[in-house]
Parts: sequence; structure tokens; C-alpha cells
Amino acid sequence: MSELIRLESIVKAFDDTVVLNGINLSVAENEFVTLLGPSGCGKTTTLRIIGGFERPDEGRVFFDGKDITDLPANQRPINTVFQNYALFPHMNVGENIAFSMRVRNKSEAYIKDKIKYALKLVNLDGFENRRIDQLSGGQQQRIAMARAIVNEPRVLLLDEPLGALDLKLRQEMQYELVRLKKELGITFLYITHDQEEALTMSDKVVVMNEGYIQQEGTPEQIYDEPVNAFVADFIGDSNILSGQMVDEKLVRINGIDYPCIDGSEQGFPPGRPVDVVIRPEDIDILPYGEGLFNGTIISKLFIGVHYEMLVESEDGKIEWLLQNYDQHDVGEKIGMHVDPENIQIMHKPKSDAESAMELDL
Amino acid sequence: MKKVFGRIYILIIMMFLYLPILTLIVLSFNKAKSMSVWKGFSLKWYEELFSSRIMMGAIANTFSIAILAALIATIVGTLAVLGMAAMKQKTENVLMAFNNIPMLNADIVTGIALMLFFLMIGAPRGYCTILFSHATFCIPYVILSVKPRLNKHTDSLFEAALDLGASERYAFRKIVIPELKPGIMSGFLLSFTMSVDDFIITYFTRGAGINTISTLIYSQVKVGIRPSLFALSTIIFVVALVVLITVNLRQSRQEAAMAR
Ligand SMILES: Nc1ncnc2c1ncn2[C@@H]1O[C@H](COP(=O)(O)OP(=O)(O)OP(=O)(O)O)[C@@H](O)[C@H]1O
Ligand SMILES: [Mg+2]
Repeated sequence: MSELIRLESIVKAFDDTVVLNGINLSVAENEFVTLLGPSGCGKTTTLRIIGGFERPDEGRVFFDGKDITDLPANQRPINTVFQNYALFPHMNVGENIAFSMRVRNKSEAYIKDKIKYALKLVNLDGFENRRIDQLSGGQQQRIAMARAIVNEPRVLLLDEPLGALDLKLRQEMQYELVRLKKELGITFLYITHDQEEALTMSDKVVVMNEGYIQQEGTPEQIYDEPVNAFVADFIGDSNILSGQMVDEKLVRINGIDYPCIDGSEQGFPPGRPVDVVIRPEDIDILPYGEGLFNGTIISKLFIGVHYEMLVESEDGKIEWLLQNYDQHDVGEKIGMHVDPENIQIMHKPKSDAESAMELDL
Repeated sequence: MKKVFGRIYILIIMMFLYLPILTLIVLSFNKAKSMSVWKGFSLKWYEELFSSRIMMGAIANTFSIAILAALIATIVGTLAVLGMAAMKQKTENVLMAFNNIPMLNADIVTGIALMLFFLMIGAPRGYCTILFSHATFCIPYVILSVKPRLNKHTDSLFEAALDLGASERYAFRKIVIPELKPGIMSGFLLSFTMSVDDFIITYFTRGAGINTISTLIYSQVKVGIRPSLFALSTIIFVVALVVLITVNLRQSRQEAAMAR
């Protein structure tokens, strides 16, 4: 896949507050890339720089190999679905969709066909003459999509397009978006702060926090091998613990040694303090005394398919979060085991900037 | 019981509001010049009104000044709003404070200040000074009614238009102006009514020999009001009533269309 968009060390500040701290990002043709991060981390600002609505203080934006940093928004072959949709309220649905074509002086016959095509694509046939305020949130979202794609952009920027919708509609629309992307065969750069959304839809997830990119990779990589405590915590529930390497591929957490698969080769020599993440579903329950470590179940919650349990270690210093399909009772003493490959070793934050990013753990 | 009291209450309020106007309308059709006796129906005061050059002149002045002043104020005010939007928030806040002061200021102060100003620069007082003054005191109201329409939402619509390939000029014309339009319209109407309504500022800024309806009535009070002025007031009231009703009808029809 060839590279379509590249951001090179983008820095952006608003009145002395640095919002983006040297963002480097590459988006390949036809890729579905998601920027994921908490509110205020700079996702929208990144997108606005790509769309041409904000000028970076430093750094360059490339599109298809050309430097477009100074190209105004209306000359970029990029369209946006805005966070609040920004549909034109005094125009009806058809006129909204026609806008980019009228700007380009297309023939009315062509416009009419295109409106039909776009409405069909978003499953809203026959909505041409509806007023914008007669549409539901989900319908407005679809019209915003239709309006953005009739002009056949090479990239579609989507800023939390499903943020305003309820859960069920949001899940429906996630499938719709993936289908749409396949049909159109264009590149999507998507913003969300919902990790589940990011993991289900994307080819590549870029996790951001406080103006830094924390990690980028496939959803599997991000989930299974978070590079630091922030990413691990942001992507789903997990046990994030402080530990220390005691030997090659052996990590000590709270006095107990766990075999793992990382050692000096991966940059974790014996003696190095580390962060360890263990996903709750990766902890197996065994009879008491038969596992690597023991604990007492202190709470239990049925959440649909499985149970979620809190287990206190025997010395009372650690609470483990477990997910298991089998039912166990509160107060039960159990043994637990984790396979070495499910123990993810991470570097402790080093620089000020990185430690500032670390959540209170 | 409560209902009856409510009705009576409303009736009393209505009487307070409309009985005086009703009296005026009735008297405008009175054959007698006296305000206390009814001598039968007649249109002679209306004839007198339409054949009086002074009165017709005052009417023409009032409405031409109102339309021109409203037009000028609307244009200047709207441009000011657009200009302020490009400023820093702090500067904008200071300017808005300055914008609000003239509205709180008593008319008499504004009127005398304007008169002194015209005297100082040696401007011959007449039609133009009234027009200038009216446009001046209307601008803040236009700014106040247009400004709320230009907000974050408008900004994002403008950006959406650029995103879709529109030039800034095209986006402004097709998206921003229609968004501002309700504010511009109400600013214009407000200015128009205030200009027609104004007496004090007109009184201080007009020259000898030029009258608007309000200054004419004032000067006639001294020599005794003629019923032809009742006729004039009646016409103004009826015109205002018709305008109000049509505007309301159109609005409710639009709302009905929206609900559909
Ligand atoms: N025009 C602006 N002027 C000043 N500060 C701004 C401006 N735009 C954004 N910021 C600040 O920059 C930071 C990043 O904002 P941004 O909109 O990129 O966040 P975000 O990641 O999109 O958050 P959200 O998920 O809430 O939309 C925020 O702290 C915000 O207050
Ligand atoms: Mg945002």
C-alpha cells in the first residue's frame, strides 16, 4: 500500500498551551486509521491540520507525496464529517448533498443522479426534500456522510461521527461505516475516544495522549502488546502492576516470580523495574494452592457472557481483576495461573513528559 | 370562580391598553372639532390630513428617514459584527461594552450631545443630521440582534463549506449570510420602529422648517391639536396592526410547514 498522508513532527500550540507535541503519522492508501485518545488529547486538532483548518506551528503535512501544509482547505482533495455534522440548516437534504457539486458547476442532471446515488449508499432513498431539522441524529450523520463523499475525495476525515448516537445505533453504524468504506474504496481517518469502536473498525489504531502519540499498530497489537501503562489502561480493563525483572524472562510482582517471554533481548535485563499488564481474561482459575499464586474472591459481578471478579492477594496488597465463564463464590479461596505469553512487560515511563502522561495507578 | 376573575382581569387590562386608542379612532371620524361631543360620522379630517402639505411632508420625512436610517444601521452594524468576530475575545468584549452604553443612555443626553456635535462641526441641521443621528442610535441594536447569530455554529458551517470546496466568498454568500438573515431582518425592523418612534433625538437634531410626525404633533400641541392628527394616528395604528398580523400569520404558517 502506498502512503497517502504523512504528518512530519507537527507541533501546535494555542496561546502558549502546546496541544500537539511533534506528531508523526503515516496513513496508507485505502487504510482505515483511527486516532484514539481521551478528551482534549488533540485528536480534533490533528484532523483540522490535515483538513486545512488549522496551521501547524512546526512540521509539514504531505498528501500523496506533495507538501500541502500551505494549501487552503478548499483546495485539498479531502472531505470531512464534522463532530457536530455541520449540515446547512437552511438547505434541505438534497441541497446539502449538492453543495460541493454546485460549487464546481456540475450540470443539474449530474447532480440529481449523484444525490440519488449518495442517498442510496447511506440507505436514505427518497430523503431529497426533507428539511435538516426533520432528521434524527442517525439520519443527520448519514447525510453528513453522503455530503462528504459525493465529491469523491481520496480521504474522508471523520471526527467522532457516532459520538452523539445511542449505543445500539452506534453499533449499527459501525457496520455501516465499514461497509461504506469497502464500497467506496477510499481512505478513512477516524477519530474516537471509544476504544471498542477503534478496535472493531480499524486497520490501524493510533493511541494519543496529551499531544503525543503513545502507540500505533493493528488493533491486536495495541490490545495484546501495549507499550506503556497509559495504553494498557486506556484499551480495556486490565491489571497494571509494578514489578521488577529478577532473571532472564522472569518477573517478580509483589514477591512472587512469574515466567514471561521478555528478557534482555527485548530490553528488559534482570534488575530493571518494569510495568506489567495482565488482561483479566488471561488469568485462569485453579483449585487453591495449585496455581502460581493464590487469592480470595472479594466481589463478583455477572456482566452478560461472563463473570467479573475481584480477587485479593493473600497478603492483601494487590487486587486482581478476573474475567471467567465459570461461577465462583465470594469468599472462595482460589489459585491462579497466567501463561508466560500473556504477561506483557512494559517500560516504566522515563521522561517528564511521559510520566506526566501516566495515569494515577 | 377563578376563571371568571381571570377573565375580568384580562378584560380590564385590555381596556387600559386599547380604550384610549379606540377613543382616538372614534374621534378621528367625528364631524365636530370638539373632543367631547359626537356630531356624526365624517371623513373630513382625513381629507384635511391628505391635503395638508405640512402633514404629508412630515409623514414622508418620518418614513424615508426610518427606512434610510434602518438600512444604514443594518449595513454598518452587520459589518461591525463581522469585524468583531475576527478580533481577540478581549477586544471584542471591550467593544461590546462600548456598544451597550448608548442603549442605556437617556435619549435626552444622546440628543443634546448630537446637537452640540453638529453645532461644533458646523453642520447645517436638517434632514441629513436627523438621518445621521437615527442611524447612529440604531447601530447598537442591530449589532445586538445580529451578533448572536454569528457563533461557533456559524464558524463550523463556514468551515464545512470550505471543506466542500467553496471559496471563502461563496461560502460567505451562500452559508453565512443566510444564517445571519433572521438577525439582520430583526435588526432592520427594530431600527425602523425606533426611528419612527423617536421624538427627543429628532427634536434636538432637526433644523427649523423640517418636521417628522412626532415633532409636528409636539409643535401643534402648543397651538391646539387638530383632529386630522387623530386621523394620522389612526392610519399609523392600522398599518402597524396589519403588518403585525401578517408577520404573525406568516410565522405560524412557517411553523406549521416545519411541523409537517
Ligand atoms: N481554537 C482553540 N483555541 C484554544 N485552545 C484550543 C482550540 N482548539 C482546541 N484547543 C485546546 O486544545 C486541546 C486539544 O483539543 P482537541 O479539540 O484537539 O481535543 P480532542 O482530542 O478532539 O478532544 P474531544 O475528544 O473532547 O473532542 C484542548 O485542550 C483544547 O482546549
Ligand atoms: Mg474533538
